[in-house]
Amino acid sequence: MSVIELDGVVKRYTNGDEEIAALDDVDFTVNRGEMVAIVGPSGSGKSTLLNVIGLLDTPTEGTVTLDGRDVTDLGTDGLTEHRRESIGFVFQAYHLLPIFTAVENVQVPSMWDSTVDRKDRAEDLLRRVGLGDRLTHKPNQLSGGQKQRVAIARALVNEPHIILADEPTGNLDQDTGATILDELTRIKNEENVAIAAVTHDTQLTDYADRTVELVDGVRR
Amino acid sequence: MDASRRLPSLVMAWRNLWRNRLRTILAALGIVIGVIAIAGLGITGSALRYGTAQQFSDITNQATVMPGEDAEQRYLTESQVQSIRGVASNATVIPVKQGRVTISSHTGESYASVDQVTKPRELYSAHKGTIPQPFRTGVLINNETAAYLNVTIGDLIIVGDQSYKVRAIISDGGIGYRDSRVVVSPPALSKQGYSSVMIIAEDGDAAQYLANATKDHFNTEGEVVRTSSYGGLNQRVGSLFSTLNLVLLGIGSISLVVAGVSILNVMLMSTIERRSEIGVLRAVGVRRKDVLRMILAEATLLGVIGGAVGAVLSAGIGALLYDTLYSDPLLVFRWASARYLIVGFCFGAFASVLSGIYPAWKAANKRPVEAIRS
Repeated sequence: MSVIELDGVVKRYTNGDEEIAALDDVDFTVNRGEMVAIVGPSGSGKSTLLNVIGLLDTPTEGTVTLDGRDVTDLGTDGLTEHRRESIGFVFQAYHLLPIFTAVENVQVPSMWDSTVDRKDRAEDLLRRVGLGDRLTHKPNQLSGGQKQRVAIARALVNEPHIILADEPTGNLDQDTGATILDELTRIKNEENVAIAAVTHDTQLTDYADRTVELVDGVRR
Repeated sequence: MDASRRLPSLVMAWRNLWRNRLRTILAALGIVIGVIAIAGLGITGSALRYGTAQQFSDITNQATVMPGEDAEQRYLTESQVQSIRGVASNATVIPVKQGRVTISSHTGESYASVDQVTKPRELYSAHKGTIPQPFRTGVLINNETAAYLNVTIGDLIIVGDQSYKVRAIISDGGIGYRDSRVVVSPPALSKQGYSSVMIIAEDGDAAQYLANATKDHFNTEGEVVRTSSYGGLNQRVGSLFSTLNLVLLGIGSISLVVAGVSILNVMLMSTIERRSEIGVLRAVGVRRKDVLRMILAEATLLGVIGGAVGAVLSAGIGALLYDTLYSDPLLVFRWASARYLIVGFCFGAFASVLSGIYPAWKAANKRPVEAIRS
């Protein structure tokens, strides 16, 4: 079953008088338990695609369907709600909050929701990514690989249906990158989530079930 | 984490402020100074007003009745004095007779203005000796006259054609006191009637009331008597100080505006620095209003902490001021002064929150896509 489905998505930017199509009639879908790598040269529109999939950006034309529901025309707050409930994010630069411990960072997506307490789940997730002994460490006390694993735990805390990863191994060396990709693969299977990852890294495409290539905003 | 479960915005705000301690302290210092400016100047104004009111309270309870323009004689008659006693039955009424006679001692002689009263203790203060009450016989003289006649307490001087013993040297006027050179006991002056009648009431309002009542009694057709009193002085002094305080508060609030602008600047800078963090918060599903709350909580914390420190320091400065002026530091907690601590605190907190609104709104509405692009 597809978690997210893009149908004929066009994204245009105006740059002065010039109009640039970052995405031009792109169809895209990803299913639960599937890892899709999105590759392409710089400026090919892969980040724009990831933003549209992640409900961080809205398309100029076309529709976006999340869990069978059309979310194309939702407002800012509606999109925020869906991101929190259904989507997990992993960034190249980890983007952990330096003021919080590992376990607090994992809880951030649910922190403002007073109806749930995700502390136990956060600790459990950190143990599962091998950071059981780093629960109360601050990000500056963690290595790059450890930070990215905290970020993966954060992405999973609200039991999302899809994880979006933007160059998840981009700041890591080969070996650490491999452990992160192992982690993502394991989680994909255990949690039955979809994973869409934008990358330059050929290592990542080896782990992916499918690779989508973009050139000049068009799928190849 | 329990606290952050309940108030995540506040906890985040606190930690973010703590993260940039120096900047936080400097920003709060602006508010501290602003609050001290407002509260300090307000307290200074109220301290000055307090002292002035204390000083004036002695004269404001006096009223003087004198013959008016339409009076038949240039003096107040015995029966008019009786009428005044009737009107001011609750107050002390002291008729004053005034005349120019020769005064002399062994060494000097002078033609001087002499006052004759029955109850001098109400009108004069003794510089040396004691003022007798009732004043049956004797004379009170001021320093200048004593020096001129070369006499002191116990000596005899001749007033008119009678000799009197000097009972006391009186102070020269001063607030609340009559200024006379020679005060003699009755019946030294043979002259008819009284030049004026002093009414000494309980307080300023009563004196004003009795002055008006006396005028109402006599001045049915023309100005038979005129009165002077300081009853309105309290109010006039009060409104003068209210104006002064407003000016001082205005000056003080300028520094709070400056502090507010500096907080605005600090908050803007800190939200710009953290835009990727804020973008990540928004990306992972933190709502705009929660980001808004978080930034506003930072500004509020700055204002509340700065305001509280400022109020405490202002109280200290005020206590020092009251101690210096009136030897009682606790006077700073009179409501008239203490309210400026509250006013200063509220203004400080308000200025800070106000300054946080724009940065908070801006941070909350930043599109996460732009914010997290690294």
